Amino acid sequence: MGVCALFEHRTSIIEPRIREGAGEMLTEGLVVVHECLGEKEQRLRRLVIKGPIAKTAKPGQFVAVQVQDSSISSFDPLLRRPISLAQISPDQDEITLLYRIQGRGTEILARACCGERLSIMGPLGQGFSVPKEGELWLIAGGIGIFPLYALAQDALARGLTVRLFWGGEHQRFLESAGLLQWQALGIPLHLSTLDGSFGLKGLVTEQVEEQLSLLFGQTKQEQPLSGGSIRIATCGPKKMMQAVTELGRNFGVPVEVSLEERMGCAVGACLGCVCTLRDEAGTLIHKKVCQDGPVFRGEEVVWDVSC
Amino acid sequence: MCPVDLTTHIAGITLRNPVLTGSGTYGFGEEYAAYCPVDALGGITLKGLTPEPRLGNEVPRLVETPAGLLNAVGLENPGLEEFLRSYLPKVRKLPTAVIANISGFSLEDYVQMARALQRDSGLAALEVNISCPNVKHGGMHFGTDPKSAEEVIGAVKAVTDLPIIAKLSPNVTDIVEMARAVQSGGADALSLINTLLGMSIDLDQQRPVLANTFGGLSGPAIRPVAVRMVWQVSQAVDLPIIGMGGITRWQDAVEFFLAGASAISIGTGNFVNPQAPLEILQGIEDYCAKRGMASVHELVGLAHVS
Repeated sequence: MGVCALFEHRTSIIEPRIREGAGEMLTEGLVVVHECLGEKEQRLRRLVIKGPIAKTAKPGQFVAVQVQDSSISSFDPLLRRPISLAQISPDQDEITLLYRIQGRGTEILARACCGERLSIMGPLGQGFSVPKEGELWLIAGGIGIFPLYALAQDALARGLTVRLFWGGEHQRFLESAGLLQWQALGIPLHLSTLDGSFGLKGLVTEQVEEQLSLLFGQTKQEQPLSGGSIRIATCGPKKMMQAVTELGRNFGVPVEVSLEERMGCAVGACLGCVCTLRDEAGTLIHKKVCQDGPVFRGEEVVWDVSC
Repeated sequence: MCPVDLTTHIAGITLRNPVLTGSGTYGFGEEYAAYCPVDALGGITLKGLTPEPRLGNEVPRLVETPAGLLNAVGLENPGLEEFLRSYLPKVRKLPTAVIANISGFSLEDYVQMARALQRDSGLAALEVNISCPNVKHGGMHFGTDPKSAEEVIGAVKAVTDLPIIAKLSPNVTDIVEMARAVQSGGADALSLINTLLGMSIDLDQQRPVLANTFGGLSGPAIRPVAVRMVWQVSQAVDLPIIGMGGITRWQDAVEFFLAGASAISIGTGNFVNPQAPLEILQGIEDYCAKRGMASVHELVGLAHVS
């Protein structure tokens, strides 16, 4: 893999093709970059795809990519893989997907070469809401960082103040998963690692709490503070997002979370990926992560049931 | 090549073509609108309904298996009342044949729903699901005991003027016996097959992957079982069969016609390729045209002729 020198040549012989009748929701995207992200052991990949999706996609949305070895027609693995958009470049008609190889599907996807075409559904789902003004705090755990980069770029382009809290296993992970790109944004970074090899040792949520306390003083759950113009967007392990939601509630800061669930159809038809929410009347309801999400308001999510 | 007549008559209804979508894989008909124009389809089968609203099972509800998918959604649906109020006014306007799918936990459940869904509701037919493997008594006992199957089909037939399609479970020793039973009950057509009961265990957690432990297996993995059952049943009963189970390509669909199906339904295949119905329809048409067939109906059961 790696940036493909043949790319310019290949585009000239393969015309972009959209299947008839699909509108632009099912497209065959051209792989223009597919490379190892950071050190090999982290099994992270960067996949840049050319296609019309970039024109309409929003941060927090995702695509469903067919993961088939194009040289052998097969229905194993059967399903598409949902992958969040890490970068949206409408001017270049490019989207960037960052992913970790962690199963058969992503292993096969990792073999896709530059110049190949991948069948892609999207952009899918409801993304993050970008506030008109004020401050946006991004809180990521592990590879939950990936969709937040597109959001950071969008928010900065709109003149918002952005800061990032990011926790990972160790320094090598953070560096592999895009630390340099984040540093290049020139925003405040609050980094932590589990082993203390970079940033503060501990959980990312500890730093979030510390910063909120510095700004608003200590708080108790019974008297939530008004978090002013701050908004939080978070993606990462469920327990982390739950803790962030709790902090948001205590300090009066609205939190949006990006949920993950095993998906079937990715369009809301099969009900495979539901999460449990509490509606305004307090009733437990199901929403579809693929269609109603993946981004939800943290406070409506019922964390201990099924989501 | 002459144009091939794709018109399909089944259970007293006329379909534009023999390609339908499977219950539970196509929502209430709008979810795939951006991928596959609904007026290109012969018909759609709606998500299974129960009298009361159901939240269904907890997640994980899905797990991918070799060339297959195990699901245990557990009949999550808005319930009959909400369906009639919020969904029916929309689905009856869809420019295709709309088949409602009903499930129940008792004979009374089925009767209640059948009574509420009549020809003037704008639906084309009722598919009676006596085969859901994912909820306790999710109709599956009606689908594994011939006497119960005959009773439930007879009971719904008596209270609605809509054609009745019985959706049979493959989780039986003798599918032919079940087909004969629902024919005696008055079914107008058969849907063959529902999912096969299966399970998958997570080696790290050392626990079943699905929250429901068991799930229904669909996808290409089950196609040979479905083709065999369509073959057997088509020899034994006179009812038209809607063949389904792992259809993802036109070749799969043709196989079902040759085995004896009069129409086919695409389920999990939609997840793989949301334009599968269009491509499969085109493939069926081309296959018939190349062989000089005037109508797709000529294909039905052709493999049986010695």
